[in-house]
Amino acid sequence: MDVWIVVAKLIGGGLAIGLGAIGPGIGIGMLGMGAMNALGRNPEARGPIMTNMILGIAFAEAVAIYALVISILLIFVV
Amino acid sequence: MTEKKHKGNLLKIVVLAIALFAMIIISFVGSEVGSGIVGSEPLSLFNVEAPKYSPAPERPFHHLPITNTMITAWISIVVLGGLFFIGTRNMKLVPTGLQNILELIVEGAANFIEDPAGKKHGTWFFPICTTIFLFVVANAWVGLIPGFETIRINGEPLFRSANTDLNVPAALAVVSFCYVEYWGFKAKGVSYLKTFFHFGPLWQAIKLIVTGNIKAGVGGLLNGSVAVFTGLLEIISHLMRMVSFTFRLFGNMTAGMILVMIMLFLVPWVLPSIFYGLEAFFGFVQAMIFAGLTLGFACAAVMEE
Repeated sequence: MDVWIVVAKLIGGGLAIGLGAIGPGIGIGMLGMGAMNALGRNPEARGPIMTNMILGIAFAEAVAIYALVISILLIFVV
Repeated sequence: MTEKKHKGNLLKIVVLAIALFAMIIISFVGSEVGSGIVGSEPLSLFNVEAPKYSPAPERPFHHLPITNTMITAWISIVVLGGLFFIGTRNMKLVPTGLQNILELIVEGAANFIEDPAGKKHGTWFFPICTTIFLFVVANAWVGLIPGFETIRINGEPLFRSANTDLNVPAALAVVSFCYVEYWGFKAKGVSYLKTFFHFGPLWQAIKLIVTGNIKAGVGGLLNGSVAVFTGLLEIISHLMRMVSFTFRLFGNMTAGMILVMIMLFLVPWVLPSIFYGLEAFFGFVQAMIFAGLTLGFACAAVMEE
């Protein structure tokens, strides 16, 4: 019986981060696309675009980090 | 002549790249996981301890309730305090050396904060936001000192980056939350409560209905209930901020720690240093986001409607 709990923990942890990374991945891709578009149109505004892009990426990434926390909790704590 | 020089540089770069790539391959094949894939014996040169992670901070002194993250937090406090004490001990009008660097940091933070908040509110926000930023970034970078987590007492590591303990981000999040609400009350007085309990339009609609103007009253009733509902949502969002603050910082820092550990285990050479640099950068970015979000929420709290 214990083996199945371990199996469920590992599968659940893997799925949590795997599925949780889809959305932020798309989001970061779109952020990069937007930044590249903006950079192509207005190369002088490189500094502000970079700063805002990194801030936006960090926000999008936070969602993946929540999923990662769940998977860490599943694997190491539960 | 220049073409020849150019060619020489290119050759150097190619040789360097090949050497680094070879080091990555060799260390991967020699390490425990890679040798298992190839089917050879692991080399003792690449013998790295398997990554071991416990979410709760360890207690190196068994009988004392002092965790290793607490010790690290004290170290970063001492480092920050000492740096600023030494740097500002005998200040000069034209700064030199350490004072110059500290002024650069403080001035950058002041500009960053006064830009959205304005002069008056900027002076309120500046101490807390800058302290949060400096504390988080110091915690992140102190944890990156080579060999930091290898010192062991009673079999437990003596140091561990303070941001990887859930309690530290949680405490910072609570501080940030309390200050945002405090600034809201300070700027708007009791009327700050209107953000959460917005019964004005509903009362007016009921008054209209009672006095007989039913047609206008019913329309107002709907608007009034929406205002009450958004106020309640605002309470939830203010409380959820603490949760998201906590897990954003904790998750990022813990993920970074585990990532470097796992990379060190898989590929002992070259590759971990790339992730190490990434971690140094992300410590800075996360500190900026923590302070910046506190600033943003504070600005939203003190903003006039």
